[in-house]
Amino acid sequence: MATREAGKKMIMLKSPDGMEFEVEEAVAMESQTIRKMIEDDCADTAILIPNINSKILSRVIEYCNKHVPTTGATGAAASDTVAPAALAEDLKIWDAEFIKVNRATRFDLIQAASYLNIKGLLDLTSQTTIDTISDNSLEEIRSFLSTKNDYLPEEEQTIRRENQWAFQ
Amino acid sequence: MQMQDPPPLTGETPDRGSIAPICNPKGSPWQQDDDFQSDCVEAIRSLGDLPEDICRRIHARMPLRDAARLACVSHKFWRSWRCYPKLDLRQETLGLNGDLISKVDSILKNHSGVGLKELNIELSSCDKVDSCYISSWLRIAVTAGIEELSLFLPHIPEEEENYFPCSPLLNGSENSIRYLDIGICAFRPTAGLGHWSSLTRLYLSNVRVADDELEGLLYSSDALEHLGVLNCPEIVCLKIPCLLQRLRLLTVSLCRNLQVIDCNAPNISIFHFSGSLVSIFFESALQVKNVEMDCLESGQSNIVLHARTKLLSYAPNVETLAISSPNEMISTPMLPSKFLCLKYLHISLIGDEAISPAYDYLSLASFLEASPCLETFILEVRQPYMKHDSVVEDSSHLRWLPQQRHNSLKSVTIVGFCSAKSLVELTCHIVENAASLERLTLDQYFK
Repeated sequence: MATREAGKKMIMLKSPDGMEFEVEEAVAMESQTIRKMIEDDCADTAILIPNINSKILSRVIEYCNKHVPTTGATGAAASDTVAPAALAEDLKIWDAEFIKVNRATRFDLIQAASYLNIKGLLDLTSQTTIDTISDNSLEEIRSFLSTKNDYLPEEEQTIRRENQWAFQ
Repeated sequence: MQMQDPPPLTGETPDRGSIAPICNPKGSPWQQDDDFQSDCVEAIRSLGDLPEDICRRIHARMPLRDAARLACVSHKFWRSWRCYPKLDLRQETLGLNGDLISKVDSILKNHSGVGLKELNIELSSCDKVDSCYISSWLRIAVTAGIEELSLFLPHIPEEEENYFPCSPLLNGSENSIRYLDIGICAFRPTAGLGHWSSLTRLYLSNVRVADDELEGLLYSSDALEHLGVLNCPEIVCLKIPCLLQRLRLLTVSLCRNLQVIDCNAPNISIFHFSGSLVSIFFESALQVKNVEMDCLESGQSNIVLHARTKLLSYAPNVETLAISSPNEMISTPMLPSKFLCLKYLHISLIGDEAISPAYDYLSLASFLEASPCLETFILEVRQPYMKHDSVVEDSSHLRWLPQQRHNSLKSVTIVGFCSAKSLVELTCHIVENAASLERLTLDQYFK
C-alpha cells in the first residue's frame, strides 16, 4: 500500500516470513529493483521481497535509510550545516560499523544487495568479503567462505600447478 | 521510516536490526540469534551458495593474484575465474619466479574469453616470444566485448621482428574496443580490419607501421580522441584525416624518420612533440591551446628559436607552452608577432652541451614582450658548469632594454639561477617591468 505520512510517500515492503515494513519511497528507491517497480506502477500494494528474510530486510532498510541522499527541507538543513566531506567520512565510519556482522549475515546481505540492486551495499559487502580472504592459504579461504573443496585430488593438483604463481 | 527513531550507533550491537517490522508474527527479529533463518527463506551458509552471477561479480572485483587463488577453492570459482574480466599480465603482477610467457599462456588457455573486458600483456622483460603464442592468446581473449587491449612484446634485435597478428581482431572486437596500446612489433593493419567505431585512444610505441597503413587505420577510427605515436621509425609523413572530428590530443615522440606532420583533424587542442623538428601543419591551428616541445633526446638545436619564429604559424592561440631545448646557439630575436593567448610559459635549457656562451638570456624578453596575457614564466637552466660571462667578474655595463609592460605577469621562477650576466639582466628586466609580479623565485640549484 502506498500511503502518505507527514507529506512523504510511504511504501510497504513485505518479507517472505510475513513481516511488513513501511518505508519512505525515497528510501526504498535506493534499491534500483524497487525503483523500477515503483516507476512501472507495480507498487500499489505491498511489495513482496522474495528470498530476503525480515532480519536481513531490516538491515537493508537500515542501510538505505542512512544512505538516502539528503534532499528536500530537512536534507537542505543538514547539508547547510555539515560539509560534504564530513558527511562522507561519517558514512564511512557508519558503514564500517554496519558491516561488522557474522559471515552468514554478510552472505545474506550480498544476496539481498544483488537482488535489490543496491550498488553501495553490494560494494561494501563484496569488498569486506574480499578483504577477509586476501593473502590467506586455500584452506583458510575455504573456511572464511564456508566453501567445501569439491575438487578431486588430481584436479586440485593440476589447478594448483597451473596457478602456482599466485601462491609464491 | 515510521517505526521508531534509529537507536544511537554507540553501544549498538552491530549485527542486530534497528528496523522494526510493523506486524511481527514471530516476535522481534533481534530477539533471535545470528543463525536465525526463517523457514520460508533458504539459508546462505557459504559464499558458494550464492548465485553464480553474484560469485562472478565478487570474484571480478578481486586483484589478479587473489582471484587466481580463489579459482583453486572450488569448481564454482574455477568457472568464474574463466570469465575474469581484467587480465593485467606482466612481471609485476605475476611475480619474478618462473617463466613469464608460460604463466601468461596458462592463464589465457584457461580463460573462456567470455566476459573479458581488459587485457594487458607486457613481455618487455622477456628475450623473445614465439608468434604463435601471441596469435593463440589473442584468439582466446579478444572477443566481441573486449574494450581495452594493450600488448607489449619483447625487445629483440632489429633484424628479427615481432608481428602483431591482426586476424584475431576480425571478430567483432573492432566494434567494442575503446583503447588500443601496442608496443615493440610490426603492425600491418589492412583495409579488411573494418570500422573501429568505439576506438577513442590509440597508442603505438616502437611499432613498425608505414604511413599508408596508419592513415588507413585512422580513416577507420573516426571516434578517436587521443593519438600517441612513439618511436615509429617507418613513419615519414604523419597524415591525420579531417574526419577525426573528436581528436583532441596528439602526441608524436621520437619518430626518427619523420619529416612532416600534416594534421587535418579540426579539434586538436593539445599537441605534444618530442624529437627532431619537422614541418608541422595544422588545418585548424586556432584550436591548439596546449603545446609541449621536447627536443632533448635528439640533440636538436635552437628549439626556443623555433618556438618564437615558427610556432605561431601552427598554434597562434596557444595558452600553455612548454619547451625543452638541449642547446640554444642563437639568441631569441625580437619580432612583431604576438602570442596573444599565452598564459603559461615554461622554457627548459638542459643538456650536457650546456647552453652556448653565445646565447643571450636577456633575449628571452622577446617572449615576455610578445605575450601580453602571460601570467606564469618558468625558466630552467641546467648546465654542468657556466660558460657565460659572470656578473661577479664584471658588474659594469648591465644592459637595459627599453621599457616594456608585462602587466599580467604574476609568477616568475628561475631554476638554476647563476651569475651569468645576461641571466641577471633578464631578472632585472622582469623586476623593472612586471608591475603585477606577486612571486619571484630564484633557485640556484636544479633537482
